[in-house]
Amino acid sequence: MTRREWIALLSAAPFAKLVRAVPSGLPPAAPVAIAKCASYDEDLNARLASMFDQLGGLEKLVRNKTVTVKINMTGSPGVRFQGRAPAMTHYVHPKLMGSAAYLMSRAGAKRIRFVESSWATGGPLEDVMLDSGWNVRQLQSAAPGVEFENTNALGKGKRYARFTVPGSAYMYPAYDLNHAYQETDVFVSFAKLKNHATCGVTLSLKNCFGILPASIYGDSAGVDEPNESPTDGRLHVGHEGKRQPSKSAPQELHFGANHDPGYRVPHIVADLSAARPIDLAIIDGVETVAGGEGPWIRGIRMVQPGVLIAGLNPVCTDAVAAAVMGYNPRATRGTAPFQTCDNTLLLAEGHGVGTTDLSRIDVRGVSIEKALYRFDAHA
Amino acid sequence: MRMRAVFGLGWLCVAPLLAAAAAPDAWVPARWPWSDPQSLELLDSSPVNCLLLQSWTPELLASAQKRGVIALALIAPGGDPVAAARQALRSSVGGLVLEGDFPEAATTAIRQAAGAVPIIQLTARSHMALGSSAPILGTYQGLWPGISDEHADSHSAGPSGSTWIDTNTGFLRAVRAWGASTIWIASQPPPNTVITTARYLQAVADAAMSGARWVLALDRDFASRLARRDADAVASWGRISALLRYFESHPEWRAMREFGKLAVIQDPAKGGLVSGGILDMIAVKHTPVIPVPRQRLAPGALEGASMAVNVDPDSLTPEQKEILRSFTRSGGALLTGPPGWKDSSPPGERITLDKAELDRLNDIWRDVNSMIGRRNLGVRLFNVSSMLSNVLASADGKTEVVQLVNYSDYPVEDVTVHFLGSYKRATLLTPEGLEKNLDIYSTEEGSGVDIAKVGVCATIKLEP
Repeated sequence: MTRREWIALLSAAPFAKLVRAVPSGLPPAAPVAIAKCASYDEDLNARLASMFDQLGGLEKLVRNKTVTVKINMTGSPGVRFQGRAPAMTHYVHPKLMGSAAYLMSRAGAKRIRFVESSWATGGPLEDVMLDSGWNVRQLQSAAPGVEFENTNALGKGKRYARFTVPGSAYMYPAYDLNHAYQETDVFVSFAKLKNHATCGVTLSLKNCFGILPASIYGDSAGVDEPNESPTDGRLHVGHEGKRQPSKSAPQELHFGANHDPGYRVPHIVADLSAARPIDLAIIDGVETVAGGEGPWIRGIRMVQPGVLIAGLNPVCTDAVAAAVMGYNPRATRGTAPFQTCDNTLLLAEGHGVGTTDLSRIDVRGVSIEKALYRFDAHA
Repeated sequence: MRMRAVFGLGWLCVAPLLAAAAAPDAWVPARWPWSDPQSLELLDSSPVNCLLLQSWTPELLASAQKRGVIALALIAPGGDPVAAARQALRSSVGGLVLEGDFPEAATTAIRQAAGAVPIIQLTARSHMALGSSAPILGTYQGLWPGISDEHADSHSAGPSGSTWIDTNTGFLRAVRAWGASTIWIASQPPPNTVITTARYLQAVADAAMSGARWVLALDRDFASRLARRDADAVASWGRISALLRYFESHPEWRAMREFGKLAVIQDPAKGGLVSGGILDMIAVKHTPVIPVPRQRLAPGALEGASMAVNVDPDSLTPEQKEILRSFTRSGGALLTGPPGWKDSSPPGERITLDKAELDRLNDIWRDVNSMIGRRNLGVRLFNVSSMLSNVLASADGKTEVVQLVNYSDYPVEDVTVHFLGSYKRATLLTPEGLEKNLDIYSTEEGSGVDIAKVGVCATIKLEP
């Protein structure tokens, strides 16, 4: 019996049952897998396969399903840190994406759709990938049924899908998103392990701020209807609250009450995590940047934590990831890494999405202690 | 705009005297900061064969002639330029370079004094003799090509923006649209600036990819180090020479003409010769463009184009307006400047636009940008934010080359190029001596190739 078969046997329970039964009122907990991975030249298929096995196997999650994978390609591919390929700094790495697609396909996924709301464009996602130096043909051939969609506008859909925030929303009662986020059975957030200038950290939760289409939530969004050719980011609507989204979408609940990006963005992200639940979180911490989310942040630096993290609950996964980065995932505003912002993880926990309590999270594979890479210490 | 030939028939009469020297269109120029004959040893490994001299010795001139190197005396407009020219002619230089803007009378007098000796004029851009039969058209006004520092701060503000590249390519293409003259761009090194080898290479390639020649001009520090044969300086000289040799070994590229489906109709007397204007903005989007001088908008001028931008519609004649109507009737997309919008050149001899002028240009740029989008108008390039490109086609239309120049200090990896139409053969050529067949694959628009790495520049040659 191979190690993988052995782990699979131990983890024979369906994914859903792995979410630990908890007393009423406590947010759910789910296992998180950590693996060491020193470079993108390692056997990524083996690394990810082992992690997915530790989580109970992919098959139960994706067999005969459409899987939508939100990747992190923040910012323009033309803006680079020291001229390096974006995947080596602030984008997820396409090799990892290819491996994930291969493994999902092998586990029976019938369609794998990579999505991202590309910076300031409603054009094809493939173009942005090519502009990032990615081999799109190679990525497409990683598995049958691989598709790409730029969710910054209507894209290949005919109408936007509305996602209502269950319970009491923080910022907006509901969000209008690209159809890809609705026409899917499984939603995966594929993030990078990074700091974030506005939110302290950007992991699987914050990655999903990028599901907001700039056609509706962008600076160049139409006032009444979406602008299907967005040319800007989401600063005015999302970060600063200077304007409402297009009137076709649900409007901000307390418009004008708060213009602090450190308050607004974490609350919006927490809303989104409740409105569009994440079924699987994968975090690329092999090579990344510390000190900010991209080259436009002064003082960022290259780091090589050499880790991969994956989990079935995004809050649990991000809590473990924050701990691996050397932070307390339950830290409050004013404490690193949330010096100037609210803690997105706690806000999502407040929505009942998942727990940030490390004592309730079953960490599999490498321990947090062994994977620890203090982002603030590597300044 | 002056349109006068500076080379008369007399040039043919002097040809036997310069039998060993190359024809003017093959002159590879450099401002030569030394006057000792030993300095010419540097030419042993260089294709430079034309020296622009501020001072010289008889020994230098003799040694140059012996090597088949043409020595040109630089004459400036200050003082008594006619006397300076006569003095140079008496010392048997191979020709004169009038650098600057001279009074008409002085130019005439110098020309008379020179007789059959060739004269090259390096003028302000706005005074270039566009459309003349001069084998060489030159200007002293050029940008030192490279990634602009001006916008560096904006990179820290947000995840926005692409790199702006200072380039002369838009200007060079606009001038090339007037005829077959070889263009020299003869900027002096910016003062008090460290110029790296990479910047020299970028300057050479920036001109060469548009079929022009950068007049090599070494900064003081580099020249002094090279004079004492400092090893690093000699190595840099070797790299510059190798890049010059790369372009000089392909004279056919200079004869090729700009190719693309987008034409820009603009008047050189207005904004057509500025740097950082519409043509350069389109270039930064990696869209091939064919400049059509307003004066040359005649039947057939838009042949092959599917889109056209008419920058200043009010300046067209009724006949030219009819040509554009015919263009749109046959399916072409035409964008004209907003009502009342007039193209204009910056005041004085300025060659770039200030902020107010750029803001004004945005009125038309937004529409241009929206019209061309990311369409394939000849070629589409990916992962080339620090690069510029030029697409050229042979006269018979059978061969195309795509010139790629990298303005960053690091190699660019994983470049993807999509072409319109199908090709049987794509060859990658580089100054490093690489000549490699590229795998061609089909794309929605035609065909594509991938390039693993580009140093300073590379060329893709496409054949049916």
